[in-house]
Amino acid sequence: MSMQSLFLGLSDFWAKQGCYLAPTYDLEVGAGTMTPDTFFRVLGLKPWRVAYVQPSRRPTDGRYGENPHRVQKHFQFQVIMKPSPLNIQRIYLDSLVSLGINLSEHDLRFDEDDWESPTIGSWGVGWQVMLDGLEITQFTYFQQAGGLELFPVSVEITYGLERLEMFLEQKDNIYNLKWSDDVTYHHLRFREEKEFSIYNFEQADTNMLRSSFSSAEKEAQRLISQQLLLPAYDYCLKCSHLFNLLDARKAISVTERVKMIGQIRSLVNQIARLYVEQEGEN
Amino acid sequence: MEFLLEIMTEELPSSHVKGALAQLQAGFSKEIKSSGIEVSGLKALGTCRRLVLVADLGAGQPDQEEIVTGPPRTAGLAPDGSFTQAALGFARSQGISVDNLQVVKTAKGEYLGFKRQKKGKSTPEIIKEKLPAIISSLSFPKTMRWADKSFRFSRPVKSLLCLFKGQVVAVSFEGLEASNKTAGHFIHSPAGLTVNSYQQYYQALKDNFVLVDPAERKSRIQDQFQEKLTGIKAQIYPDERLLERLLWNVEYPLVIMGSFPDSYLSLPLEVLSTAMREGQQLFSVVKGKKQLPCFLGIADAPSDPKNYIVTGNERVLKARLEDARFFWENDLKISLTERAKQLSEVVFQEKLGSYADKVARLQELVGYITERLDLRNLRKDLTEASRLSKSDLLTEMVREFPELQGKMGGIYAQRQGWPETVSRAIYEHYQPESWEDPVPDSVGGAILSLADKLDTIAGISGTGYTISGSSDPYGLRRSALGVTKIILDKKFHLSLRRLIDKSVSLLKKKLTLPEEQVKAACLGLLEGRLRFILEKKGYSYDLINAALAPGLDYLDHTEARIEALSSLKVSKNFEQFIMMVKRVKNILKDSPKAKLDPARLTEKEEKELYSALKIIRKNAEGMMAKGDFAGAQKIIFRLQAPLNSFFDRVLVMAEDKKIRSNRLALLAQVQSLIDQLADYSQIVGSSENS
Repeated sequence: MSMQSLFLGLSDFWAKQGCYLAPTYDLEVGAGTMTPDTFFRVLGLKPWRVAYVQPSRRPTDGRYGENPHRVQKHFQFQVIMKPSPLNIQRIYLDSLVSLGINLSEHDLRFDEDDWESPTIGSWGVGWQVMLDGLEITQFTYFQQAGGLELFPVSVEITYGLERLEMFLEQKDNIYNLKWSDDVTYHHLRFREEKEFSIYNFEQADTNMLRSSFSSAEKEAQRLISQQLLLPAYDYCLKCSHLFNLLDARKAISVTERVKMIGQIRSLVNQIARLYVEQEGEN
Repeated sequence: MEFLLEIMTEELPSSHVKGALAQLQAGFSKEIKSSGIEVSGLKALGTCRRLVLVADLGAGQPDQEEIVTGPPRTAGLAPDGSFTQAALGFARSQGISVDNLQVVKTAKGEYLGFKRQKKGKSTPEIIKEKLPAIISSLSFPKTMRWADKSFRFSRPVKSLLCLFKGQVVAVSFEGLEASNKTAGHFIHSPAGLTVNSYQQYYQALKDNFVLVDPAERKSRIQDQFQEKLTGIKAQIYPDERLLERLLWNVEYPLVIMGSFPDSYLSLPLEVLSTAMREGQQLFSVVKGKKQLPCFLGIADAPSDPKNYIVTGNERVLKARLEDARFFWENDLKISLTERAKQLSEVVFQEKLGSYADKVARLQELVGYITERLDLRNLRKDLTEASRLSKSDLLTEMVREFPELQGKMGGIYAQRQGWPETVSRAIYEHYQPESWEDPVPDSVGGAILSLADKLDTIAGISGTGYTISGSSDPYGLRRSALGVTKIILDKKFHLSLRRLIDKSVSLLKKKLTLPEEQVKAACLGLLEGRLRFILEKKGYSYDLINAALAPGLDYLDHTEARIEALSSLKVSKNFEQFIMMVKRVKNILKDSPKAKLDPARLTEKEEKELYSALKIIRKNAEGMMAKGDFAGAQKIIFRLQAPLNSFFDRVLVMAEDKKIRSNRLALLAQVQSLIDQLADYSQIVGSSENS
């Protein structure tokens, strides 16, 4: 078992469920939920099924490569099914079985955990899936995105790949995971974690980040007025990542936090509304 | 005849299950009974995956006689008494012979009509009719939609089982058809099960790893806890809320025990138990007050044959503890004093400014309180404690585990060498968080908590914010409960009014409402919580009203008043005394105020009443000032005899206007004395109490 065989296995499983396998999105995002393949496609009426691997950056989770569990960049396997199938929990359990997990030897729980992202005006209801005490998946029925009520409802299944792989390999330390038969997680990611932790917590230039935030925000607003919604959304994603970096530098006061999140949400909500209007015309 | 209902769902939040079961039981009972069907032995059971009702129901509605009316008498009967075409037509349309028609009197006049027996509906018919609405009307704290349905529920509904006398009742609900099929444990025995009675249902589920009765799950958990703990002579760190949550979360509980490396025992017990509870819902295990390097957990599985569940949980916990240690070590690098300087960056509330502002007010307030309580020796330490009290909001540990606020501050203060009074006060200053939660143990903690909560109440109320229904995001009710509980439990002799005055004066410039309005709002909030506490202590509402009528100021006095009232309520004279008080109050009700002129008292009885009043008043007021309300009340009872004679022999409403108003003025003085104790007219006598 390796990270590589894990995402190959999941890709294969979900492709058979009719999901389109999307390439990884090429911007920094905090979660797979934020990429256009999820954000735009859960809006509106059209059915949609997609699965993809998405690196997720959470600068405050950096631990200089010293913590066996937390990293400032991890990998998610993201699945969206719209509308949510009635037997989706069973399909999800089957996906675990397909990875070779004998569920009857374990304790698997769907534990109440509603999801919310104020930055993109989105929330949903669902669970964190716990396997022998380890959170391996976030399972969410989206109720709202970009400030809009969703109908039909999409289900989002987000596997934490490192968590799942640690479970499969029964390892205590993320860096001991195998990426492939002869490449380890340490080999691929250790230096990156160390350097980015130093960057995120100590070196990131907060003045530069602030001015970049405000440039990106202005650009997004301008693009919205040009009806260029996908590029505008990219700039919202940039804002979100810049915000996360400022947060890691503890450079944001509580009031500022509310204000900046509000700025991004307002842009995202405009984009969502216009997108639904335009798609409705087609 | 047996009725069985099972609604299978995806995993409901455990906090939703109990409420849903209670509503289901009440709704079902009400709807079915009101349809004329007998209901007995109704009980609700379930887990996070199934809501279950079992009952014994009657066979159906009784038959009923109904009257069917046709045309008005004048249109149906010709003057000669024969039936008209209209009557014949009506009879034909109803399929009866015209001879069966008779004159029926109704509210609208006389009509032709006939009686017929209406067959009662069978129980399955009624269930089919009523059940969908009963299920739809269940309410939850939060609901969702799924797939392409517009129906809302706590989580998706998967299937319905509905049986009456072993037969399926064909209920349709939101695209689901009821059947006699259920399923066992979703992981350990997911195959479908067909049943035709509750006994079969219960047993089939049990055989397939589902204990549908919560009481059975609870006793299984407790037995297994005992089994694991007696060997090592340890106890579980009590956590009723976690236990309650898990009870509904699992269908087949299995208690597991695991351990973690001793090296993490250097972390405080508070951090260890929180890290265990928050992530994995584990219980920490203690011997006395000492944490042991092990934990208990409740899995949803019949067994752990390969020990995977234990080792998996151990691995995850180790990573969490590693993270907690990272926070702990980082936090210790920066002193609370240093952090206090950054509090100006942290907003307490938009209009009220930062936590630095709040902390400055707290320093003033604790100074004032220590002064009033004659505890000046605490002043210096509590001023320091106030200054440091909110610093832990900036620590990583509190960011990760917000429920550790205060506690972490106290622990860090102790590590950083602050005196015990300071660290204890910080540690305890959020207590009590609820009615069950004890007030701070230390006097310093109690004073700081009091100051913090008063400031919140005055500040938030003073910016125009009011509580509505269940919405109370600033926790004003909780703060007000804390203030009252602390003052009562700690027996602080403090004027609430002056405390509020002080707190408002410190906030002055920031308040958006007029000061008097703010003070009234604070007092109202506190009075509400005081009523709640007194009710919880078992006092009846009439005694509470009576004791609160003289106004709220010293809470220890209010409590003494109600204790005195309560102990006297059983005495024989009490009821007569109340009658007397009511009589005085009635006479004075519409009378103008007047000044008493003792020289104008002429009759013997009124003179005697006046001299008794003077002596009793002097004694009673002295006692009340000392808080001896039981004594004051006993003395005031002595007014009874002279008042009785006064009413017997003296005509209050004398013709001479001056004499009359003088007598009324005498009674007014009697009443004003009595009013200082309680409003006795509020008390419901035992004879009126039925």
